Amino acid sequence: MTARGVLKTLSPLFACIGLLCVWQIASLRLDTESFPTALEAIKAIPSILGDKGSLLNILDSIRRMAIGLVLAVMFSIPLGLLMGRIKAVAAFFNPLMMIIYPVPKAALMPIIMLWMGVGDVSKILVIFLGVSLPIIYHAFQGSKAVEEKMLWSGAAMGMSAPMRMLRIVLPAALPEILTGCRTGLVLALITMITSEMIARQSGAGNILFNSLDMAQYDTVFAMILIIGAMGIVFDAAFEKLRLSLVRWSQPRDDMPLSFT
Amino acid sequence: MQVVSLRSDAHAESEPLSGRKPASAMIEIDHVSQRFQTSGKQSHLALSDINLTIDDGAFVSILGPSGCGKSTLLYIVGGFVQPTDGVAKVKGKAITGPGPDRGPVFQEFALFPWKNVLGNVMYGLRQQGVKKAEAEARGRKLLEMVGLKGYENFYPKELSGGMKQRVAIARTLAYDPAVLLMDEPFGALDAHTRTRLQNDLLDIWDRQRKTVLFVTHSVEEAVYLSDKVIVMSRSPGSIKEIVDIDLPRPRKRADLLLDARFQKYIVDIEKMIDDGKDHL
Amino acid sequence: MTQTRINSVLLGITPIVLFLALWQSLISFGFAPTSLLPPPGAVFGKLAKDFFTGDFLHDIAATLIRLFAGFGIAVVVGVFIGLAAAVSPAVNAVVKPLVRVLAPIPKIALYPALLLILGFDHASKITLVTADALFPILLSTYYGASMVEQKLIWSAMAAGTPRWQILFKVVLPAAMPSILTGCRIGLVISCIVVFLAEMITSTDGLGHMLVQAARTFQTVDMFVPLIMISMLGLILNSLLHWLRSYLLRGFPEV
Repeated sequence: MTARGVLKTLSPLFACIGLLCVWQIASLRLDTESFPTALEAIKAIPSILGDKGSLLNILDSIRRMAIGLVLAVMFSIPLGLLMGRIKAVAAFFNPLMMIIYPVPKAALMPIIMLWMGVGDVSKILVIFLGVSLPIIYHAFQGSKAVEEKMLWSGAAMGMSAPMRMLRIVLPAALPEILTGCRTGLVLALITMITSEMIARQSGAGNILFNSLDMAQYDTVFAMILIIGAMGIVFDAAFEKLRLSLVRWSQPRDDMPLSFT
Repeated sequence: MQVVSLRSDAHAESEPLSGRKPASAMIEIDHVSQRFQTSGKQSHLALSDINLTIDDGAFVSILGPSGCGKSTLLYIVGGFVQPTDGVAKVKGKAITGPGPDRGPVFQEFALFPWKNVLGNVMYGLRQQGVKKAEAEARGRKLLEMVGLKGYENFYPKELSGGMKQRVAIARTLAYDPAVLLMDEPFGALDAHTRTRLQNDLLDIWDRQRKTVLFVTHSVEEAVYLSDKVIVMSRSPGSIKEIVDIDLPRPRKRADLLLDARFQKYIVDIEKMIDDGKDHL
Repeated sequence: MTQTRINSVLLGITPIVLFLALWQSLISFGFAPTSLLPPPGAVFGKLAKDFFTGDFLHDIAATLIRLFAGFGIAVVVGVFIGLAAAVSPAVNAVVKPLVRVLAPIPKIALYPALLLILGFDHASKITLVTADALFPILLSTYYGASMVEQKLIWSAMAAGTPRWQILFKVVLPAAMPSILTGCRIGLVISCIVVFLAEMITSTDGLGHMLVQAARTFQTVDMFVPLIMISMLGLILNSLLHWLRSYLLRGFPEV
């Protein structure tokens, strides 16, 4: 690798260091008790991750997030693909989605807890709801954009309609679907944290606000660092996976476009 | 017919160019080379030591296989691309960037989608500081000239390819450039539209006698329109031959198609291109 | 309206009607007690009754102020940085890694820090909205601006446009479709985030209404703010859609 290449791969690392430096300086200048320095926050990380209770709490959050995400992916991709190919399906679901779209899914947490209790089911359901829409939307866009002539040649080869869906539409829409999944991944993390912040029962979001209530400011900021790192690591890992799955598709750029 | 003198000498001697330069030279291209950096440390010589003089009021076509650098040469005259070596001059002054003395017309039309037809044509005039009312009046006149009266308030997306290119030509003529740089302007149009636009372009040229540098890959188009045809070859892009087209003007397509001289020019030039075997 | 258009509208209304019917029948057939699931009629009746009370309007106003302030700042900052990153390699070299790091962070996690630094008032919520809406706007501006057709810029330069004006006369309008797409995503996110922030800590706003109702087990009052935020989202979205079709009237495929 050339020196330029090394610089390019390491640039996010430099960005992290730069941000931490800005934080450190800002905190030293402001000098209030409620805004610890970056170093103090980093020092507090091992005590959180070393604590068995907190660690299990966080791992439990991730487990629920994974289940919710996988369920959403399995539900959303077929629906989105169908919407993209069959006009009536799209006309059926589009207005409903328009209405649901601006509703904050994590805000449903109090109502769902009222119905289903505070167990895993509620938390997974909220994550499922939070993640589904963008994945449906991207699968819809991807399958709508599939060239009609590709399907014609598929039909000419004697492929049945479900077969064409599986063998032509799915792979052709894959880059767009994976973009949706990437957004979904980040959204799953966001929904998880937010619903835990609202429910205040367990999980990473709960640790965050409990320490805020108890004025353990180092822990607050350390927890923010942990959650931030989770976001960055998940996103980077998924991007690696995505690149290996759709090597044939031209990548647009290497900036993540979350939320689209 | 306008008398043009044209000089291409790949092995130019030390004798200064100005020594033989005619008084009315519009564009001078002096030892111009263009090297493009491709991936890694490789580079590709798109143009190799081009020397060319184009007289004021001449209609000159550049013809050659794809990848011979003919568009690059046009972009260098336009000032959009800086040559790696050598100098390109317009009216004796070295070209440092784009300017309203050289107006481009692209194959892709490149109209501003957020402006309507009149707005597109007025753009250059407004940019030159012409008052709005006057720019509008002149814009309308130009649109009438290119046969688009009544389409002033249409948006480019509502027009056919041929009409878009008429707007693009009007937009460029609006700021009255001394040189028209046409980069395969009719390449994206169907055969019928293409013929009509060729005829209309000749009409306009007969009236205004602007210098035109016209890139094309159609031999017939080049012969039909031009005073001179520059045949280029590729790897590296260089001038292979320059052909004077000695056909009377104003030219009528119907007459020319039956004219043995016209046919011979086409056959000869096609042979030149084939000889290079670089069409592969 | 053509027959197909009528058909698709009817099709679109069907699931919404079905949804309401299912909701009502769950109560009518005794599957859900009204204390857990109030009937839709009660919810919409409450919404209509509350709507003209001072408190409700005050809550909506508080939410809207935060939403617009946060979203507005995000548009200005996002478009500015996105354009700068597209035209200047130096800015790009700094912005790109920063965005790579910051975009996938769940911004809501920053909320406690914002509370500690900016206090519990408007500022922390507005900043959170900005932080969340910023990245989609910035990124779509960047993509739109870096994909402007070269020959559009050349045409403008040949017509005598100075280099510094190209940014505003060509790049910005040409990138407009992409910028507005980013704005639409940013707007929906703003709606969601402002509501969540108000749920977590606030003394007013629609999110606070929901939390307040949940604490006192007033299920009807829990649904009212949710429906309100959905309606706000729809209204704002259609306003933006209208603005978009006006601004992009010359662009194909809008």
